[in-house]
Amino acid sequence: MLNHTNSPQRRRKTSLRLTVLGAVVAAAAALTGCGSSGGSGSENTVSFYSWDNEASMKPVLDEFKKQNPSIDLKVSYGTPVQGYISTLQTRINSGTAADVFIITAENKTEIMEGGFAKDLSGEPWIGNIADAAKATYTKDGKVYGAATASWGGGILYNKDLLAKVGFTNPPETWDDFLALCKKLKDAGITPFYESGDGMPVSLAALVGLQNEASGGTMDADIWAGKTSFAKTWTEPLKDWSELFKQDLVSPSVAGLTGDQITSEFQRGSVAMIGTGSWALGSIQKAAPDMKLEFMPVPGDSGTYWAGAVSPGYAVNAKAKNPEAAEKLVEFLQSKTGVELYQKQNAAITTTKDFTPELDPALSSMVPAVRDGKFYLPQVTWPTNSAALNSETVSLLQQLIQGQTTPEKVASALDAKLASLQGK
Amino acid sequence: MALSTTPDLQPLQPQTSSNRTLTRKRPHRLSVTSWVFMAPIAVVFVVLYVIPMSQSLYYSFTDFDGYVSNPAFVGFDNYAELFKDPSMLSALGYTIFYAVSTTILVTVTAIPLALTLNRKFFGRNLVRSAFFFPAVPSVAILGLVWGFILNPLGSGVLNSIIRSLTGLGPIPWLSDSTLAQLSTVAVTIWALTGWHAVLYLAYLQAIPADYYEVSKIDGASSWQSFRYITLPLLIPAMAVSQLLLMTNGLKVFDLPFTLTRGGPGFSTRTLTQSLIEDGIAQSRVGAASALAVLFLIVVGLVVLGQMALSNALQRKYS
Repeated sequence: MLNHTNSPQRRRKTSLRLTVLGAVVAAAAALTGCGSSGGSGSENTVSFYSWDNEASMKPVLDEFKKQNPSIDLKVSYGTPVQGYISTLQTRINSGTAADVFIITAENKTEIMEGGFAKDLSGEPWIGNIADAAKATYTKDGKVYGAATASWGGGILYNKDLLAKVGFTNPPETWDDFLALCKKLKDAGITPFYESGDGMPVSLAALVGLQNEASGGTMDADIWAGKTSFAKTWTEPLKDWSELFKQDLVSPSVAGLTGDQITSEFQRGSVAMIGTGSWALGSIQKAAPDMKLEFMPVPGDSGTYWAGAVSPGYAVNAKAKNPEAAEKLVEFLQSKTGVELYQKQNAAITTTKDFTPELDPALSSMVPAVRDGKFYLPQVTWPTNSAALNSETVSLLQQLIQGQTTPEKVASALDAKLASLQGK
Repeated sequence: MALSTTPDLQPLQPQTSSNRTLTRKRPHRLSVTSWVFMAPIAVVFVVLYVIPMSQSLYYSFTDFDGYVSNPAFVGFDNYAELFKDPSMLSALGYTIFYAVSTTILVTVTAIPLALTLNRKFFGRNLVRSAFFFPAVPSVAILGLVWGFILNPLGSGVLNSIIRSLTGLGPIPWLSDSTLAQLSTVAVTIWALTGWHAVLYLAYLQAIPADYYEVSKIDGASSWQSFRYITLPLLIPAMAVSQLLLMTNGLKVFDLPFTLTRGGPGFSTRTLTQSLIEDGIAQSRVGAASALAVLFLIVVGLVVLGQMALSNALQRKYS
């Protein structure tokens, strides 16, 4: 009887099957990302997933390596905001997040509530972090992020264009600001642009004044059901919408990006724009002879700035090398680390042991920003900030076009919040 | 008019008889070979489609936020939520408008263009390349370039041209809801017509010249030749082209997003943008998964309907 088990055909078939199986397993492993871990490789390795790009962070991280030659630093760079958030989310889910990553407005609720970051409140250096920065990334008395900078947002103006209409001092009320816009328009100068693709800094500051009047607890009270968007946002929205009702600002801003309005400003086509301190460097580079200055947003009860604490450094709760991770964060918030970072980014740093030298155009903004006297709704909202921010931006675009009213915008925000809270 | 001498027109089909012969002769070798070639694809299909789709189905019944490992079961709440969310309904409306209008308009522009490009004229290859070119660069780049052209301010390229020619003030191409919707469709037609014209051109070149010669002998006009020869023989091409247009239209994200970011308001927000923003940026994976499941069903039904229609037309003309 023939032994089919060892026949050449049988062997070829088995060999073929094994080859195919090997190829399938290899393909599956490659596709599912199995194999080498994305985390740290050795005990002396610490991984860092950076929010800032390589050009900004290299001098800082080179100095850390110089001071800590025994630590092998592995750095990867994300693409803020959405790309960074989604990549970090995936890595946290798969247990491959870096030892040090960034906590920011868009992910702080999930990071803090999920216990994905280590509590830094007991670190000896935590007192060096500004109070507003600590408060931003604190939950139940635990500090989950070390932010070393903040940014401010207000009205950036072209001094030469404003001088043409006799401007001497920044307006102190919203009506004064509208009057200034009208004067500019009558003189044939486009008064003010603010991009429609994000939360307008002018509106954020007006709502900030409302928050200040409520003792700084406005958002917490809305979430607790003690007040509502309808009660707190309608007046600031009414003031803000006057820009469009009185035809002082073109409704075209509903379709403009921040880059587009910046470019118009650089060309001298518009006298004032609503923007943040981050934009100053690129504008000065593009228009080096332009005389610029920021002014706060004037409201009915004073002036205020928009702004927020910058993203903070967080230590992974499951860091493979927690000691080295803490050492890295300690360095990043140290005087040396912050000074090197500030040199690259011209950021308004807020750590207590270092005072940055900043552009004179920011002079009116810096004290308020370093004191944490600013407001940005999506950062202060306790939960669902990304969803509500997206909804707000779309509703404001409709308001700019005259398709809705301030009252309806505020009510729609209440409805959205109720829906997100499952009510 | 009856074209009595015109031969029976059969839709163009790939020749398969030799394949069938091969199958009968060497069934075993072909099945093993097929298996070898199919296995990697099957793995890709399982890993990249079946597993994620199963996960989406599971997440759609939970409150998963993208982070927690044990989400709570919420039944059909996520599905009910979809129909209450105005931004989601707006995204559904715009996506359908976009998919249907681009499918129809690209088809009615690509076929005449293909007929023109099929004729002999000086510089024909250059013209064919020029029309095909918009399909080459990344859609995101096209979106950015067209964003510059359609800038709603007076400094926008198109607005500058209009002002210099007519003296008219800036037109809010991307800042007005209706104009933004029309602009996204117009840019899509510009980007896709050339590619689909080349597809039709390939089918046109496969039509035997004898058919037209016979119809000419029978006294058929140009319109009659087109109506009774060209059009029926282009039905397979139309089925392919329209299937691609409809499926791409329903899942579109890049072009409207780079042009308008979904605005103004919710006017050019697509379902895919809702999926991405709700699922990732807003940490509402459960709600986004419910949308994905519904979307998959809707796309499946649309594609099935379209294929049934194409088959019916093919049967009618074959």
